[in-house]
Amino acid sequence: MENVKIDETRQVSPVNTLFLVLGMQIGISILSFQRVAAQNSGYDNWVSVALMGLSTLGVMWIVLRLLHNEESYGQPELFSMQKRFFGRWIGTLLNIYVMSYQFSVIVIFMRGYIEIIQVWIFPRLGTLSFAAIFSIIIWYTVMGGFRAITGTFFLSFVYLVPLHLLNILAIGNAHFSNLLPMFEHSIGDLAQTFMKMGPCFIGFETILYFYPFIKRPQQAGKWCYFGLLTTTALYLTLSLVATVNFSPGELKTEVWPALSFWKSIHFPLVDRLEYIGIVYWLCVLIPNVSLGAWIVSRGIKISIPLIRQKYALVFVMLMITLSCALIRDRQQFDWISHWIANIGLFCMYVYIPFLLFWQWLLKKKGAKKD
Amino acid sequence: MKIKRCSMMLSFLLLSGCVETDVIDDILMAESEGYDYIGNDKVVGTITMPNYAEGGVSGSGGGGLPSTAAMMNSASTITYDGRSLVEVLQKEGQKTITAGKLRLMLFNQAYLQHGLNKVLHFRNQDPEVGRDLFLAMVDGSCFDLLTGSYLTAIPISRYAYDLIFQNEQKNFPQTNLKSFFYNYYGYQTDPYMPIIKKEKQHLVITGVALLKHDKYAGRIAGENNVFIFKALMETFKYGFYDYEFKPGEHIALENVSSQIKYAAEAGNSPEPRITASLKIIGYIRQGNPLLTTLDYNTSIKKNLQKELESKMETMVSQFQEKRIDPLGLGDLVRSYTRNFNSSSWKDRYPNAHFRAHVTIDIAETGVSK
Repeated sequence: MENVKIDETRQVSPVNTLFLVLGMQIGISILSFQRVAAQNSGYDNWVSVALMGLSTLGVMWIVLRLLHNEESYGQPELFSMQKRFFGRWIGTLLNIYVMSYQFSVIVIFMRGYIEIIQVWIFPRLGTLSFAAIFSIIIWYTVMGGFRAITGTFFLSFVYLVPLHLLNILAIGNAHFSNLLPMFEHSIGDLAQTFMKMGPCFIGFETILYFYPFIKRPQQAGKWCYFGLLTTTALYLTLSLVATVNFSPGELKTEVWPALSFWKSIHFPLVDRLEYIGIVYWLCVLIPNVSLGAWIVSRGIKISIPLIRQKYALVFVMLMITLSCALIRDRQQFDWISHWIANIGLFCMYVYIPFLLFWQWLLKKKGAKKD
Repeated sequence: MKIKRCSMMLSFLLLSGCVETDVIDDILMAESEGYDYIGNDKVVGTITMPNYAEGGVSGSGGGGLPSTAAMMNSASTITYDGRSLVEVLQKEGQKTITAGKLRLMLFNQAYLQHGLNKVLHFRNQDPEVGRDLFLAMVDGSCFDLLTGSYLTAIPISRYAYDLIFQNEQKNFPQTNLKSFFYNYYGYQTDPYMPIIKKEKQHLVITGVALLKHDKYAGRIAGENNVFIFKALMETFKYGFYDYEFKPGEHIALENVSSQIKYAAEAGNSPEPRITASLKIIGYIRQGNPLLTTLDYNTSIKKNLQKELESKMETMVSQFQEKRIDPLGLGDLVRSYTRNFNSSSWKDRYPNAHFRAHVTIDIAETGVSK
């Protein structure tokens, strides 16, 4: 099991890591992070957003390093890695932990999307029925294998380009004076915003799971960094758009500033742009949840080799559907997403560097034995 | 494989079937709302729906209903303040009334004096209605304006919308719900909205209503004053200023481009200084037959500059007296000041010194000498 080489017909070329990294980072929080970002550091929030984006480059370096080192020992992916590092039992426990984290992330994403549909378009939409039907689509995608999932990531990237170009429309009546005077907020305020930006940027660490599925992984590195830089640029523009378009007091009242911004755009044929934007967001949701479900089902397969991935997937989809229906209102949703974000931030900045350190320790120990 | 494909197709079908539908022929789309305050937290609410009375369905051979001719086109009722009219008027609706295409919200002066905050809060909370609709104050009653008859066949909501839209390209400052919210929720700004009025069988746009947070605080009337207000507010391209350089002698300056730039100094002192410099490039469209290009460019231009400067300064000092800030001068000072003291700004605002510098460039004076 440990050293199975992934068949080349199931691998994707290194360029695709750009779409995978980018796609996983764009989630539901892109529509709402602006208000949260402005809470502590007002019109300086873009500084935090930029710093966060740049810091992800560092984390990515650690992740790639970790995976690259691992190649000579076994399967370069987190599940096998944890088993090797910490032994079978603790490793499996940790695997279950990261699986449940990944599972909660996709549940939150899916539930967040359903919430937006319920608030903006169809208040009478049943959470369970939508989640169930949607799970079938996800199931179909994941059954196509990792390549099919990557395809949806590429498509979501292409589809979203026009939507992100809409930000240009903000320039017309922007209040650029909102950005002045710059750098007035203290480092403490900026750090708080930095912490709150976690949920936007997490997602790129999923490369820990699909790394063996990349052909010529040495070349994937630069595409990962390109992906991260693109996301940073995107988040930066969106936070600037919100700052120049809404007065500080107004931004405090908007739950989804991006949607409210789209709400004020009006084309002759398309009266209400945000409806299109919301429906469009489906092509962000599909790849994200697909990859999440793929990771979790693969995790189950690796932990319990008796279960085949396709049966694990059915179980995962059922669980996602049920969990979505269990989150009833916004309080619960906020509470869960708050915790998930904190755990994600911890994973990124503490746990992953720790893994690299541990790997180095093991290597040293191994060298001593020889 | 077959099962997968079938389930895929089925899931798309199911997705489209799991919520309610609104067939466009079977609903009434409210396009404008009018609020008339009648005291005691009670309002007369009026909504209008477009009514396309174009005869029968073409090709139906005389059978069937006329397309939408039988649809009602307005409804009104008395209700309490701060409630969505579309919901209230549902019981009068011949078919389901929806608010999604709302284009216009009208208030009478009494409503503005009473305060807009309830209805604004509601509008901000409401996901259904877009943010590019116009808010306007009505001189007189909104009910009369919305249910009156006009010299045009297009629905009243569209008529009033076009009127405001057209004028906001010219002399009137741009105000839609988006910019209104910007100023309303902003910390050092106050909103404003256009005033419209029914005159016999016409609609006229007469001025700009100024608000202090959410309450009426006065108005700017007259095209020239509105031109000055707009020039202080934003960069714009079309507009007319009528200048009377001698009693009975007018020239009309057409604005080709105008640029406003502000600067602020000593923002945290008790008397902040604000300077506005306005640059206008204009055409003379109509003038005295005896004047030559040279005349325009010497004395008339200088006097016009002076007049604009003094009028701007008076306008701002009036705002300061009323303690309203539609121009967002407070926000301007904030952006120029490090560690801006916003809590004391309300007291310092009336003491702020405002100076205006106007330069006019007369580019052309027409095709005759």
